[in-house]
Amino acid sequence: MNTNTYAIKSHQLYKNFRSYKKQSGFLGSLSSFFNRSYIEKSAVDGFDLEIERGKIIGLLGPNGAGKTTLMKMFTGIIVPSKGELTVLGHHPWSRETEFRKKIALVMGQKSQLWWDIPAMDSLELLQRYYEIDRDSFQKKVKKMSELLQVDHLLHVQIRKLSLGERMKMELMASLLHSPEILFLDEPTIGLDLMAQENIRKFIKEYHERNNCTIILTSHYMADVQALCEDLVLIFNGQKKYDGNIHDFEKILGVEKNISFSFKTPPVFDHYLNQFDPKWNENKTNVSLRVPLEEVQKVGINVLQNHSPIEFNTEKMPIERVMKTLMEQPELLDN
Amino acid sequence: MKTYLSVYKKFFETSLAEASSFRTSFILIILMDIIFYLTTLSSVSFIYDHVSTIGPWNKNQLMFFIAFMLTMDHLHMAIVSENFWELSVKIRTGTLDFDLLRPLSSIFSVFFRYVRTSSLINTPLVWLMLIYYGRQLNLTWHQWLLIPPLIILGFTLFVIIEFCLSVAMFWTIEGWGINFLRMQLQQLARWPHFIYSYFPRKILTIFLPILLVGSGPVNFIYDLSNTQLLFGACAAVIVFAIILKYLWAFALTKYDSPSS
Repeated sequence: MNTNTYAIKSHQLYKNFRSYKKQSGFLGSLSSFFNRSYIEKSAVDGFDLEIERGKIIGLLGPNGAGKTTLMKMFTGIIVPSKGELTVLGHHPWSRETEFRKKIALVMGQKSQLWWDIPAMDSLELLQRYYEIDRDSFQKKVKKMSELLQVDHLLHVQIRKLSLGERMKMELMASLLHSPEILFLDEPTIGLDLMAQENIRKFIKEYHERNNCTIILTSHYMADVQALCEDLVLIFNGQKKYDGNIHDFEKILGVEKNISFSFKTPPVFDHYLNQFDPKWNENKTNVSLRVPLEEVQKVGINVLQNHSPIEFNTEKMPIERVMKTLMEQPELLDN
Repeated sequence: MKTYLSVYKKFFETSLAEASSFRTSFILIILMDIIFYLTTLSSVSFIYDHVSTIGPWNKNQLMFFIAFMLTMDHLHMAIVSENFWELSVKIRTGTLDFDLLRPLSSIFSVFFRYVRTSSLINTPLVWLMLIYYGRQLNLTWHQWLLIPPLIILGFTLFVIIEFCLSVAMFWTIEGWGINFLRMQLQQLARWPHFIYSYFPRKILTIFLPILLVGSGPVNFIYDLSNTQLLFGACAAVIVFAIILKYLWAFALTKYDSPSS
């Protein structure tokens, strides 16, 4: 495949961070002032990746897995310790002006907008940074603010906005210059369900219209399912999965999720306990992870022995797959 | 250049919008600046009530020098001072990330982002002081014409040295130490070079040339044949600009960006 087909290409990418251990209390402070024991942590460990232009990729992994570090290396904010990396044909850490005009980053936990001034002032500043002509700027702001339903808030100080409203403004700020790659680092974190859905819908529509490449990290599987065609799974800085979302759902085997509700808590025998039962708090509802060939047998067993009042079968939800992998990362080594 | 000016215009507007939303603080800063100017000038004037000359200069010459330095200091306070304090906050909190993404020089985005608009209100006052003491010296028209570009030269030299020192914040992370060092250097630079003894004068003229900031330009205004310190100041601007370019690029490779 031609190099131009790739938005991002990395080979044996590493990033190490150094920090020091500090004991608590007065003596700990004194001792660490004079004698520090440093810890070297490998945040990204030999990462190979190829992402085609125009795709939406979900970068998944537990906290501290290295997702944000990767995003920061992709955008040129930090420099890799070792390895090769090209983003849109550029070495990000060279921070060429042309490169910086092609990318945008939204961080759910950090704001690029100025706290004490209205969003419109921040947007106008970005208009000048990216040399966007006045007409095109006004059209974009009007269109995006209407789609995100924040047009009436453009002249309100950022600190007066809700988290969801602020995130919508952040998205607008990052899309003003029509980036070729949009990096979204937990864009829906802390938002209510409506705001999450609104933002997802906006991103999806934006991608359909503009065909830009989007790299998304999120702990909300709903974001990933709604937006991503492909997933990259990262654990302890290493890539553990890279492929289609539908294949990911089957990563633990072709399994179904069967849930049962009971009037009173039942006691499962050894046979049913092997299907990784997840109970609700009062033990009246359970969901089992069952291989496709065992579904019928398990269903009959529970119906005959425990008289459920309700049951249903569905394909393994992606949350369940992720949770299982986070609890047992060794499954990915097989 | 056009883009830089256009962005800077917006920096100014947003700084004004931000500062004017805190009215009491806005007015207090204006008052504090006025008190600072008056106490600095009156303390020098007070010394001259007891001596007739300090080094080779009489009262009017030193008062003009102090007014020249205060005019430069005023520019410093208005244009860059807040940004030094912001830099360590940006490094600690990771908001520097966004400055690094912008398609203009990150030095520009970091050190010129905040304009202290309240200080600009005092512009007529500092220039009136400078003009007053210049008139006491009966400056000629070409000496008057030299003042604005020489203030810009001194200001440029001082801030480039400060930018170089501030790069250390990428390693220290906490900015108080560096910022206090900068402020101490400002204090040292507010006096003419001849008041210092041999070794401090050499160090602060050659290695960390903050004494060239004021002494270079003012000596040249007083005596147009006295170009040594002025050329030294021009050379120092070039040398420190080159140092800054490489130092800044190196510091960015060491930037870890705190986790979110």
